[in-house]
Amino acid sequence: MNNQSPVSPPGSAGEGKQAPVRNSDYYVNGVLASDRLVLSKTITLMESSLPEHQEMALDVVEQLLPHTGKAIRLGITGVPGGGKSTFIETLGMMLVQQGRRVAVIAVDPSSKISGGSIMGDKTRMQFLSAQENAFVRPAATGQTLGGVARKTRESMLICEAAGFDVVIVETVGVGQLETTVASMVDFFLVLMIPGAGDELQGIKRGILELADAIVINKADGDNLTKARLAQREYETALHLVNPRSPDWRPPVLTCSALEKTGIDEVWDVVLRHREKLGATGELEARRREQVFEWTWFLVDEGLREWFYKNAGTKTLLPAIKKKIGSGVITPTRAARELLETITGKE
Amino acid sequence: MVNHPREKEWEEKAKKELKERPLDSIVWETPEGIRVNPLYTAEDLKRIDHADTLPGLPPYVRGPMATMYAGRPWTIRQYAGFSTARESNEFYRKSLAAGQAGLSIAFDLPTHRGYDSDHPRVAGDVGKAGVAVDSIEDMKILFDQIPLDKMSVSMTMNGAVLPILGGYIVAAEEQGVSHELLTGTIQNDILKEYLTRNTYIYPPQPSMRIVSDIMAYCSKEMPRFNTVSISGYHMMEAGADTVLQTAFTLADGLEYVRAALRAGMDIDAFAPRLSFFFGVGMSFFMNIAMLRAARLLWHRLMSVFNPKNPRSSMLRTHCQTSGWSLTEQDPYNNIIRTTLECMSAVLGGTQSLHTNSFDEAVGLPTDFSAHIARNTQLIIQEESKVCHAIDPLGGSYYVEMLTKMIVDEAQKIIDEIEEMGGMTKAIESGMPKMRIEEAAARKQARIDQGIEAIIGVNRYATDDKVDFEVREVPDYIRNEQVERLAELRKKRDNREVERTLAELTRAAESGENLLEATLPAVRARATVGEISNALEVVFGRFVATTLCISGVYASEYRDTTVIESLRKRAAQFMETKGRRPRILLTKMGQDGHDRGVKVVATAFADLGFDVDISPMFQTPEEAARMAVENDVHLVGVSSLAAGHKILVPDLMRRLSENGGEEIMVIVGGVIPPRDYQFLYDAGVAGIFGPGTSIIESANKVLNILENRH
Ligand code: B12
Ligand SMILES: Nc1nc2c(ncn2[C@@H]2O[C@H](COP(=O)(O)OP(=O)(O)OP(=O)(O)O)[C@@H](O)[C@H]2O)c(=O)[nH]1
Ligand SMILES: [Mg+2]
Repeated sequence: MNNQSPVSPPGSAGEGKQAPVRNSDYYVNGVLASDRLVLSKTITLMESSLPEHQEMALDVVEQLLPHTGKAIRLGITGVPGGGKSTFIETLGMMLVQQGRRVAVIAVDPSSKISGGSIMGDKTRMQFLSAQENAFVRPAATGQTLGGVARKTRESMLICEAAGFDVVIVETVGVGQLETTVASMVDFFLVLMIPGAGDELQGIKRGILELADAIVINKADGDNLTKARLAQREYETALHLVNPRSPDWRPPVLTCSALEKTGIDEVWDVVLRHREKLGATGELEARRREQVFEWTWFLVDEGLREWFYKNAGTKTLLPAIKKKIGSGVITPTRAARELLETITGKE
Repeated sequence: MVNHPREKEWEEKAKKELKERPLDSIVWETPEGIRVNPLYTAEDLKRIDHADTLPGLPPYVRGPMATMYAGRPWTIRQYAGFSTARESNEFYRKSLAAGQAGLSIAFDLPTHRGYDSDHPRVAGDVGKAGVAVDSIEDMKILFDQIPLDKMSVSMTMNGAVLPILGGYIVAAEEQGVSHELLTGTIQNDILKEYLTRNTYIYPPQPSMRIVSDIMAYCSKEMPRFNTVSISGYHMMEAGADTVLQTAFTLADGLEYVRAALRAGMDIDAFAPRLSFFFGVGMSFFMNIAMLRAARLLWHRLMSVFNPKNPRSSMLRTHCQTSGWSLTEQDPYNNIIRTTLECMSAVLGGTQSLHTNSFDEAVGLPTDFSAHIARNTQLIIQEESKVCHAIDPLGGSYYVEMLTKMIVDEAQKIIDEIEEMGGMTKAIESGMPKMRIEEAAARKQARIDQGIEAIIGVNRYATDDKVDFEVREVPDYIRNEQVERLAELRKKRDNREVERTLAELTRAAESGENLLEATLPAVRARATVGEISNALEVVFGRFVATTLCISGVYASEYRDTTVIESLRKRAAQFMETKGRRPRILLTKMGQDGHDRGVKVVATAFADLGFDVDISPMFQTPEEAARMAVENDVHLVGVSSLAAGHKILVPDLMRRLSENGGEEIMVIVGGVIPPRDYQFLYDAGVAGIFGPGTSIIESANKVLNILENRH
């Protein structure tokens, strides 16, 4: 084992007393023993932006890797307020009652302006959060897509290593984030609500292409008929997109997370998907593919980060910004000038 | 600007007086977003339909009674209750002897939420914020030597309304008083609980059934009893301005009317027994106008149902001065504020009134502070001669215009709610709560900048401390209640209790009148908790959705350098520590005051913190687990209902049991000064009481985080 020297944990601020210094064994052994406290600290370590923490996190995750892979990875996205958290609460409780261990990573957006965030998803997972066999971790996106993606993926792996056999990720359905999430889960579930008419609720078509199932939530009370209608609409819409897999036609289901109806049907679909694609080997292939995608994603991110940290870029940036702003140069020229600081003039 | 033949002349003079400032600078943009001119005239009045009407006649804008206070002054009705039934009973009897006219009972939070005093979730709440009532035995003590056939009794109860109203009825029975003699009011306004007051038990639908069952029962059995007190007061205290308060309250009222009609009642059988409850704040004329506007609008809204009885569309209201406007700093100022608000309510034509005590921001009233609060009303009523006048501001150009503006603005919001399908639907959508929270966040930002003046807080602050007695409800009260419960459970006929409770559950399933089904259980000495449970097994317990606004505080805070400097600090923290400062804000126990925690949450996020927010009503154990699992730097406890001395040390213990000893704890809310040392000794890293600017607390929190590392 390439054990590193101990470092102080990220951003801890002890009661006057210095936070204890911890080495990677602490994290690895704790996670493997499914110690809730250490699991939580390991995720924090991995989330940290400090190089020494990232270094150690890398080491920890590598050591945990052999213990991952057995969980069902479920991604859930959808319109804001569509009931994702409530759905996870209900589904999670059902699974826990079946004897499963459920981990949830609930991702909330950070404000672009302030950098801060309010993480409220967990307030809607009150009962699940209280279960011995559940672990719910809210996470803020932070400023970079790469940041969220890395944190989310590795949080999932850490939870798997801690013995959770279902790992669920919740993300809001706007922007690029969910495509990234789709590429780290076995089953990508898009949660919609009835009553938005024929417009597809501002959800990008791209997401429908990635969906392994669409679930119309809030099919209760006055909404029942509207939910059926929406169901048919999405079925039609799905006919117009290319299925992700030749062996899987994404179904459209309805449920009520609040009244706890239709949830077991959704879970049946997840299991059927698993069985079917497991048998054809597609699931394995998908995971392998995801690892490659992931690698390239990290390369992309690394390049980007390196670019912005590059001294030449940093000094040039303010001047160039001014020039673009006042219309002195075109964006194309600006980009070229910036890139030349590292590639050199060709 | 002025509608008058001599407008030009006036403007010229005005401009001269204003010197450099433009005329437009004296137009006032109210928090409601209404532009109010400083001057109105007879010309304006001509365009107001309601101007030439009479009190006691539709649309009642000038008052529901023809003679108003000239005939009979408003009822002085002080809201009170604390600790045990015995102590509260003594307090009531003293107050009645000192000039108070009616009773108004404040129950403690376990009772409100349908828990007995021995329930594990209420360890910090028994008797703290009102009187603890576990069974009819407590009710009987509460009304000991108070003749229920003569005394009008108001009870603020919404969640556990069945066992409590039942308890009152049975207490009267056991005093030998028959149902039809009972006079008073039960709040029984469940809708606003989901909006702001947070003492609900069941989900909205079964709760609405309880409301109409009570209306139905009382319309037959207790014709002199007000069955719903439709309340805007709590909305105002949560942050609503006068327009929001008027609109949401009347929209709630409409919803109750419809529920009763749906249940098959005749409009005139229940509508005369609906009463209202408004909150009156510091904006003097706006609040007078609000009460007048509300009466006019209610008459308009009710006319649609074609009532035969004029009382059905007549808005009668209780009022309370604003507790929110009262400060911990320089507390004697509060007496003056309350006096002004009291005048506002009186000039607005209230039917009864509660005035707050000057120690509002530190604890429940003491005998001394309650005495002054009561005398504030007595002096206005008996010394100032105002009672000789009926609607003295009727015809005032200014007040009539304000009245019209509030009517128009509130009507717009009511229309919006109607379009959504009524208030129940609107509440489900979260719209009204978000509007109120937004108003609260804006207000906080304006106060923190000193734009909205609060003397002694953001202007003319003084270091002189006044020392006065603060009421403290001792922790042993809980033991007393628990013992009494154990004794009761031993003494009573438990088979009869079980039988009546089973009957109640069956009634809940079948749709029989629930108040009627509750009475036998009360008579059998079933407890408040047991009765609530018997219904909960059918109805379930409501779990609120916590929605959060963002960006409002920062955008209302005009001095961007202040905001930026905090954001920089947060970003710097991240650079050195690897992540943003992360704080869990939590509400523990049955304390439902969420205005502060919501404002702090949204503001801290605006300032660059990562904020985790907990569900309401956490146990210390649950809060500790959440803190550890989310791995926050600190837990911010918001405590307003006096549970801090039990809940905070418990939280610290649970944190270390869960391996979270590195996590620091800070406390905000209503913490009496003498408890600061206690909390510091327990290991609390910072205390932020009422009136603390959020900018200041964010900076201090960052100091704490940086220093302690
Ligand atoms: C508003 C209010 C209400 C509203 C609450 C609306 C809502 N949704 O929040 C309504 C009208 C519904 C209400 C009801 C009741 N109330 Co009340 N209420 C108040 C009042 C007047 C103001 C509180 C407030 O919101 N202030 C504005 C906010 C922004 O301030 P704040 O919460 O103090 O927060 C500031 C600081 O404390 C600090 N802070 C707070 N938390 C945190 C956390 C962190 C981390 C940080 C850094 C800072 C911080 O920063 C904030 C900004 O300055 C207070 C008296 C007072 N003046 O304080 C009584 C008061 C709290 N209420 C009281 C009582 C008893 C009740 C009831 C229980 C009465 C009853 N028996 O029926 C009910 C039931 C409420 C319930 N479910 O718990 C008592 C509590 C008595 C005690 N502690 O001994 C008080 C003190 C009044 C009194 N003296 O009698 N109430
Ligand atoms: N009627 C009905 N309401 C629901 C259902 N599921 C969730 N809700 C309500 O919808 C609102 C939003 O629910 P959440 O679970 O927070 O939705 P979300 O998609 O996680 O929201 P964000 O994370 O904020 O985007 C809450 O008021 C829920 O009570 C359902 O099945 N039926
Ligand atoms: Mg959510």
